[in-house]
Amino acid sequence: MNFKALLKSLLLRKFTTGLLVLQLAITLGLLVNSGILALDTQAKISQPTGLDNENILIVSTHPTSGNYRNLDYYRSIATEDMVKLGELPGVKSVSLTNQLPIRTSGMRRNVYDLDDPEQEINDQYLQNVKYILAEETLAKTMGFIILEGRFLNQSDQLDFDSEEKRNIVITASLKKALYGDKSALGQETNNGFIVGVIKDIILDPTLPIDKQYGYFSNAVMERIYIARYYVLNVEPGQMANVRSKVRDTILGVQAERDIFNVFTMEEHLKEFYRDDQGLADLFLLLCSLMLFVSAISSYAYSQFHISRQQKYIGIRRALGARKIDVLLYVLTETWLVYVLGCLLGVFVAFGFNILLSQHITLSKPDIMLFCLVTCVIFISGTLATWLPAKRTSDIPPVVATRTV
Amino acid sequence: MLRYNLKLALQSFKRAPSLYFLVLLTLSVGVGLLSANLALVNAMAGDPIPEKSDQLFHVSLNTWPTDRPPAEPLHILRYRDAKKIFESDIPKHSAVFYASGVYARDSKSNSLQRFDSSVRATTSGFFALTNAPFAYGSGFVKNSGMEVVIGSELNNKIFAGKNSVGETLELDGELLTIVGVLKPWSLRPLFYHATEGRAFNLTDDIYAPIETAIDLGWSIHARSSSTDSNNGVKFTRDLNVFYLQAWVELPKEADVALFQNYLNNYSQSLKEVGEHPLDTRNELRDVNAWLLEQDIVDQKILAFTLASVLFLCVCVFNASSLLLSRFHSAKFEVGLRRAIGASNRHMLIQGLTESALLGIIAGFTSILLSWLFLKLSIQFLPDLANLAILEPKLLILGMLLALCTAISSALYPLYRANRYAISAELK
Repeated sequence: MNFKALLKSLLLRKFTTGLLVLQLAITLGLLVNSGILALDTQAKISQPTGLDNENILIVSTHPTSGNYRNLDYYRSIATEDMVKLGELPGVKSVSLTNQLPIRTSGMRRNVYDLDDPEQEINDQYLQNVKYILAEETLAKTMGFIILEGRFLNQSDQLDFDSEEKRNIVITASLKKALYGDKSALGQETNNGFIVGVIKDIILDPTLPIDKQYGYFSNAVMERIYIARYYVLNVEPGQMANVRSKVRDTILGVQAERDIFNVFTMEEHLKEFYRDDQGLADLFLLLCSLMLFVSAISSYAYSQFHISRQQKYIGIRRALGARKIDVLLYVLTETWLVYVLGCLLGVFVAFGFNILLSQHITLSKPDIMLFCLVTCVIFISGTLATWLPAKRTSDIPPVVATRTV
Repeated sequence: MLRYNLKLALQSFKRAPSLYFLVLLTLSVGVGLLSANLALVNAMAGDPIPEKSDQLFHVSLNTWPTDRPPAEPLHILRYRDAKKIFESDIPKHSAVFYASGVYARDSKSNSLQRFDSSVRATTSGFFALTNAPFAYGSGFVKNSGMEVVIGSELNNKIFAGKNSVGETLELDGELLTIVGVLKPWSLRPLFYHATEGRAFNLTDDIYAPIETAIDLGWSIHARSSSTDSNNGVKFTRDLNVFYLQAWVELPKEADVALFQNYLNNYSQSLKEVGEHPLDTRNELRDVNAWLLEQDIVDQKILAFTLASVLFLCVCVFNASSLLLSRFHSAKFEVGLRRAIGASNRHMLIQGLTESALLGIIAGFTSILLSWLFLKLSIQFLPDLANLAILEPKLLILGMLLALCTAISSALYPLYRANRYAISAELK
């Protein structure tokens, strides 16, 4: 292949070649960053949460009637709800809570060991520890793993107007922050005595993995008016069946309730990242548009031979160039432009990555992604060039005689 | 002349329809996508109350009772601080409120169906301060009493849109009388409650006197912070529970300084009795400054807007190279017209007319496409639903953008076309 001739031919069309190289560079930059965005989102959605994601069903509900302002009435209905939900075939356990894991907002309190109030100054995260109201079945229902001591039980539920110190269960990262590697059992915090430690669960995905501070106390019945989630642990394979019955079961106990939503923990996790997923999808949509436009440009670029170089191609054919030579010639020309575009694209990709990072969190580009995207661009370019290249190779040698 | 140029442009389109179609398609997709994004950014960054956005001020105080505040100064206030604000006669109007929620039904209705309604528990100055538009009746005058004002949407749901002033609503088991009904009211952004990601929520369903809401124990549906444990909003008046937001209307500049002084004196009086450990840092922010500080423009949309700008560049490059090849293949025609007397200027004007016509057509298709993209964006990012609106100024912007991109894509091709030697082309 005569590269000198190729370069000469490219230089004949400096403007269009330049434009195409720029287009390809931008396309590569966008594709690489969209790829990063999609992979980042995928990684977030598939991160381990420490929960039995697929088998947990959640119902969010709120009473609509003023009768529920009588808290004893509210408690009796909630208790009956849980009994009825537990009787559904396929339900292993039922619980009630005020807030779900995998959320940024929620009830928070400061936590420190009573002997060391300075702790919360040294670790700012201790000022905003998630406070989860629970009752004894929550650990079983959510699939918590107990590392030390026990989870809350009936004896931890105090009288509703009691001023006594409560027993609490804390997450492993909170235990580490308060007591390091020592045992936390029996220690007294500003919020009560620690009776157990559970393995970390993802409480707030926007916080670092070792700052998933949370504590549980058996106070959900006392503050029933903020307990808006029933949590059900369902036997594998029974989810659809149980899901279809929970609404009627709850309304069957007492109808004056608004049921906002029924969803699995897996859906809850996806919902948390809904906007990230949406943005990643929008970028992918833009990528396909970009590839389409670049393909049009490549097509138009190769048309040049048919519209303007017919004579020269004819001469070449007359001088002994085979069809395959002409085809390869046109394709190689496109590939050369693509190589230039992709080289420039590396810089665009980094530049665009820095620009996007001002607005969203984004990983840095990696080499594998560059290779993959380059392949995609080459394939789409080759496909777009194929037709004009084929038509160019079909120019008969006799053209040479006509135009001389 | 214009008519002649237009005729020539149409002929040119007819001669290479697929090429012009591609140019049109790429330009309109590029412009449409960017306009859709700009529409979203515009809706997020707009001024919701232009007639007096520089006269309305959000009040943040620094009255946290310990030396470890969650923020300095804090945008939420405790009851006694807020009371100091609405008792002052310096502001023309003031509004102190918190967000809540209740279930509502017509007390006379046989149906037990209740509607989930967002509540603004507020002082009576709210309506004048925000220019809330009344369809029937008026706002309540006192900060207590079993009276409410309802929004148009709730009035439609419960009373089918008729004048419901005087009707009684059952709200969480209590009976309250309607004294006013608002017209459909959209504030974008919802400046009076732009925190906690609510800047693009709809206006509220029910507006209730603040003291009544506190007495009835309507729970706080927004951020609250406290150093005292409490058993509900009913008991918060004397406690260090921070949950109220305050706005004041200060039409004269002198009043702003006066009111700032009033707040600082209040802080000083707290300091004197040892209840104000932090430095005095009380802030008044007007609507636009407050919204800017809340950073309400969605960063994801800004990121996508950047990508759409790049995409539009690619579209312009593409159109430009397509037009170049088109002008090149029309060389003979150009040469012929030059030979029979058309000047370079004539050729340029004719080329520009052609691209302007292309731009106008692209403008119309891009408006259609931007509407489609907006609908699509809502599918991907459902939170934008209240924002996806194409205002007239954006339609004009889209049109101008299409015109500019069409002309700029044709500039270099035109320049080249005018440099062809007449003789060479006619040979």
